[in-house]
Order: sequence, then C-alpha cells, then structure tokens
Amino acid sequence: MTEPEFFSPEWAAAVRDALTAGPPEQDRAGKLPMYWDFFDKVKASYASSWALGCRDLPAGNAASLYVQWGGGTVTGCRVTGPGDQPAATFVLGMDYADWQALHDGYDPQRTVMYRKILVEHGNILEFFKSIYFFTECLAIIGRVPAGFRALAAR
Amino acid sequence: MLHEGPRALSDQQVRQIEGADLKEVLDVDIDDVIEYVHKDMRSLPDYTTLYRKYLKQRWDVYDLDFSQDRTDWTEKMTDAERQSFLAIASGFHHGERQVEIELPVFMIGAGEEEKLHISAQIEDEARHTVFFDRFYREVVGLEGDDIMAILDASFPWVSETFVGPFGLLAYQADEVRKNPYDERARVRYGTTYFLWIEGVLALSVMKVTLSYARWRGFLPAYYTGFTATCRDESRHVQGGMKYLQDAVRKDPTMIKEIHETLRTILLLAGVASREVIYEPLGWTQDEVRMLMFQQLGRKLNDVGIKLPPDLQAMVGSVQPVLAGG
Repeated sequence: MTEPEFFSPEWAAAVRDALTAGPPEQDRAGKLPMYWDFFDKVKASYASSWALGCRDLPAGNAASLYVQWGGGTVTGCRVTGPGDQPAATFVLGMDYADWQALHDGYDPQRTVMYRKILVEHGNILEFFKSIYFFTECLAIIGRVPAGFRALAAR
Repeated sequence: MLHEGPRALSDQQVRQIEGADLKEVLDVDIDDVIEYVHKDMRSLPDYTTLYRKYLKQRWDVYDLDFSQDRTDWTEKMTDAERQSFLAIASGFHHGERQVEIELPVFMIGAGEEEKLHISAQIEDEARHTVFFDRFYREVVGLEGDDIMAILDASFPWVSETFVGPFGLLAYQADEVRKNPYDERARVRYGTTYFLWIEGVLALSVMKVTLSYARWRGFLPAYYTGFTATCRDESRHVQGGMKYLQDAVRKDPTMIKEIHETLRTILLLAGVASREVIYEPLGWTQDEVRMLMFQQLGRKLNDVGIKLPPDLQAMVGSVQPVLAGG
C-alpha cells in the first residue's frame, strides 16, 4: 500500500484517526502518569481549532491542515486551501522542509522551541496552556505515513 | 544543605564577590553569590551601573581547565550522581542557548542605557553557552562537530516539560520581533525570561549543582565557571527586575500582563514528565520545591509584585523540574 501524499485528503483522514486514538502505549510508558493526566484532561475539554499551515508546498501554494477539537475527540480534520480557510483559534505556520523533518523523526519540542512552527494568529499565553498536549499531537501527526516529494523536484 | 535565604553579607564579602577574578571565584560560597543576587533588589541599580559591573566581571571561558573535573566525573562520582547531575544540568545547557538567541529582539524597544546592559547580557549568555559546550565535551565526554551537535547529544536528558517556559519564551520573542515597541508584549516576555527562567529556575539549578560540587569537593572548573555565571546572572536578574518594576510603576495595569503570564507558566510548572532523583546530589524533591518557592517569593516581594489568590494556590503545585538560562 502506498502512503498518502502529504497534505492530501487521505493523509488528513489518517491524521484524524491517529489524533483520535492518541499516543501509543510505548510513548505513555516513558513519561510520568502526572504528565498524561494533564494531557488527558486537556484533551477531554479542548474546544479549540488549529490551522496547521505549510507555507511552501511543492505545488507552489500554501495550505493548512484544519483540526477542530470537541468532546475529547477530533470533530473535523481536513486540508484547506486559499479559497477555503475556516477561522481557527490558533493559526500556525511551518515550512515544507520542517514538516518533512518532523515526519522523519525531528523532535516536536524542538520544532516549537526553535520556531520551526510558529503561532501566526492567536493568543500565545492561551496556546501555551495546552502546549504539552500540542507537542504530543505534533508527534502523532509526524508519525502518520506521508509521501513527500523530493525537494530537488520543487 | 538548604540554607539559602535572607542572610546578611558583610561589605568585605560583597567586595570579594564583586571583585573576584576567575581563579578567586573558586573560593566564593555559592550561597553568598545567590544572596548577592538579591542584595540590591529593593533599590535596583541603573543600567549603566550594571554595564560597568559587566565590564569588570566578564571572564574568559577558555581560561577554565576541566582536566580535574574529567577525573572527578569518570573516577570519583557515582553513576547515580552523574545521572542526577545530567538530569539537572542539561536543562541549563539548552536553556543558555535559548536565552542567548531570544534576547536580541528585546533590545530593539529598550532605552539607550538599557541597550548597553542587554548587549552585555547577550555576550554573557553566549559565554555561558560555550561554558556548557565545553563541560559536556571535556567532562561528560559527548562528541560532536559543533555546538548544535553537542546540544543534540545532551537533549535526551532534557525533560519534555522544558518546552513550557522555553517554547513560550521563543514565541514571546517572536511576538516582540513583530512589534518591538509593544510594551505589553515586552512585559509578558520579561516575566518569562527575567522573573521565571532567570530569577527562579536558573538560580535553583545553580544552588543544587554548585552546592553539590562544593560539598563533595568535585568539579572545580564547573564550580568556578558556574559560580561566575551566577554572578553574571545577578546583573541579569537585577536588570530584569528593574525593567518589570519600572514598567509597573509607569503603568500599573502592566501587573495584569505579569499575572497572566505567570498564570500560564505556573499551570505548566505544575506538571512533570520525568522523575528527577535529587538525593545523590544531597537534595530532596521537597527541598528543591521549597528552593523554587523561595526564589519566586523573594523576587516578587522585592520588586513589589503581589499575587492574587488563584496564583498563590498555583505556586503550591509547582513541580521541582529545573532548567535555566
């Protein structure tokens, strides 16, 4: 089975399933229960949405992965383009190469700390109240299989 | 071991701390340096005075000789001591790099004398980054071609919750970059950087690792360089507290920005992802937690920032996870 192309509808569907399932057991085993209690508490009450942008897709356009949370699960997850931009609580942007690096295993904490992904619109203090939830979700998204076009072909 | 707290420094002790060259720093007690950080907190020195102190106190990180530290690390310290030490020091290794690169944008909107102080602080933070790079290469034995390679190698010891204060600082720096004269954004940034990261986290790491090194008689170059770093931090904390104090005096509604920032920071500080074992270094989790309370309380009291009841309650939930910068 070929992996879905990055930022395709099929990839967005796989991201939705992975976020709904949450972190795998081996991830949970490596951190204190207190940390996962916090994660689970945030997830259960989280009602915000993210527009996770890719600024420079190989096709030459910018697009976002729109993720809506509610009731402890993902209620919406789809790729949006220039003509379809639902208002999101937090709009974030990242370059294609950094998305690929995340997919290849680059650390999600450092993706945030080194400003590879940035909040472009939204209240930063509010965003950070759930930052551990966000970085774990970023790790989950990074692990979803995706086909990346070679940068040289861009 | 937990004897940090208000203690009087004699004029002679102050002169010894202020005037010690790098070799003499080895004889300075870390508790006295931490007290020195707070010495002028109630009548904070101006930025030009802090800059003049910097010119006298700057030290050459390449003058340190880590050969005895390497012997202590490999032959005298136990594995439990090494693991505890790395679990604490690695947050500082990464923290120094973070504060070094996040500070330049704060200088744009600063007054002229404050710019002198911040430029000196940037140089301090760069020197501290090199200090940890040398420690991890020459004592711990990590290998890498450049500074980032050593950071990559020490990152496995960094707790997942490190992204809380340091990710927040990165994003607040970006907010300041976009609007460098937005005083509210600057106060939020200053609360994270100067009050929490430098005033609470950094001084607590210094106290724990340096009191261990002094107690055991180990790691003389680490003790020397990191105690000199603590003296540098005294200028940073005093300059940072002066900035926050002036901002609130000029516009009392700025206290809301400090409180809102602390509300996010304290929420995140109430969570730990790893258990850090402090006992091999002569500390307990409760002692470290108490140390952090003391550091926060002294900064807030000295600059006249009161916490509303909900924030006071959050302080009681802070987990003893240390990092710094």
